[in-house]
Amino acid sequence: METMIDSRMMMTDFLTALFDKLDVAGVAVMSKLPSGEKTAFTLFTGKDDIKECVPFFPAMPANAARAVSKFTRQAVPSKTVAVFLRPCELRAFTELIKIKQASFDNLLILSYDCSGVFPFQEINLSDETKLNAYRDAVSTGKNCEGIRPVCAACTRFTPQGEDIAISFVGRSTDQPLVFSFPSEKGLAAAEQLGLDVSNTVAASSAVESLAQERRSAEEELTAEVDASLSDTQGLVNVFDRCVSCHACSYVCPICYCKNCYFDSQTFEYFPESYFIRMQAKGALRFPVDRVLFHLGRLSHMGVSCVACGMCEDVCPVNIPVSQIFKTAGSKAQALFDYIPGENYDEPLPLLAYAEQELEEFED
Amino acid sequence: MANNETDIKIVAFLCNWCTFTAADLAGTSRLKYAPNIRIVKVMCSSRIEPVFILKVLLDGADGVFIGGCAPGDCHYSKGNFYARRKVALAKTLAKSAGLDSERIRLSWIPASEGPRFAHVVNEFTAHIKELGDNPARREVYI
Repeated sequence: METMIDSRMMMTDFLTALFDKLDVAGVAVMSKLPSGEKTAFTLFTGKDDIKECVPFFPAMPANAARAVSKFTRQAVPSKTVAVFLRPCELRAFTELIKIKQASFDNLLILSYDCSGVFPFQEINLSDETKLNAYRDAVSTGKNCEGIRPVCAACTRFTPQGEDIAISFVGRSTDQPLVFSFPSEKGLAAAEQLGLDVSNTVAASSAVESLAQERRSAEEELTAEVDASLSDTQGLVNVFDRCVSCHACSYVCPICYCKNCYFDSQTFEYFPESYFIRMQAKGALRFPVDRVLFHLGRLSHMGVSCVACGMCEDVCPVNIPVSQIFKTAGSKAQALFDYIPGENYDEPLPLLAYAEQELEEFED
Repeated sequence: MANNETDIKIVAFLCNWCTFTAADLAGTSRLKYAPNIRIVKVMCSSRIEPVFILKVLLDGADGVFIGGCAPGDCHYSKGNFYARRKVALAKTLAKSAGLDSERIRLSWIPASEGPRFAHVVNEFTAHIKELGDNPARREVYI
């Protein structure tokens, strides 16, 4: 584990220093919206609006990996841009790098151990009671009531692959920031910021207690999902509310396809084929292929699923999409001994093979 | 509804170079095997996507069979290694979703082994018969 140091800087000082000392072209960070209640991931090109930044605000209006992919996919930014990514967003970003939808060149990636976020519709900037409870939960290393179920069961809440890590769990937000610098880029930044690396700080025990709580929550969640999907009837019941809006795929950071296979002509059948299927089953529900969409999407992105929870946030009929995808995705990942977002050099499981493997699946 | 021997439907995806040729050989050798499989010829077993397998099961077929060249003998040298990963993924996802992964089988059958093709098809058909109807077969709301 990298040494943690007390920066003696508050968040506004740090953001100002990014512009003044590191000369970044921009900072991409969560900020307050003019309406005063909601937040959005915003790219600032100057320090004038720094007071509007709320990097730790517990909401995820969009997975930021998608946003960063937009401004790095076709060309590398000409000057360094600092981006704040939650650990799951950073993992999604790493997966996007593998599929050539993003690049980390000229990015300074800032991340922090994450205490989870509330469903976007359920948190406002003025919700003092909820936000106070959240602050308490962060400083003591507990799950806050009301955060997304997948956040409460997230065991990968410490970042991997960032340049500067901000210690968040077990700290108080009115104290100066505590940093560690896991990469060369991060160390260089520390030097430019003029930080005194001898001001070391001990790791907080709250991180381990949160990890413990998360592990048992994950076990419970897995057992619940497994029980709901134990047979075909369960599968039908879980998805029968689905209205085929496909919003889950539009907000998914991994689903990058501009033209989704499941929106394509492949699934527009000749009229006759509906009658054939109707005759075989006695009736046919429309739209067809709803469950196929979910299982098919799982087969496309499940091995890369970082369980960020966006899909469940936007589901208009409250299907526990991300809980299902987290559970089924983890099993698929375990099959290939693959951890999404761990290492951008590692190929996607379906693009690699070993000559001797998976013997239990063949004969 | 009770199963009878001809009621079972198995969709088979066979690679052009090995298992499909083995099926052809079984036919020209006049070998008799269970008539429940519907063969879809593909150029390589790696053409199969997990979505194909899942769709076949969700639409109510009782089994899915995938046949390819033996490891090391792929016509395209490594296609079957990719196919194995895809089938493994499809089986794992099917299981997570409450579908019966036992209804999916991947076999490597070389072109010259017509009798083995007939044997494997008989064996898999018998296994599917034991499992009974795919519950998705008459499921309207899937």
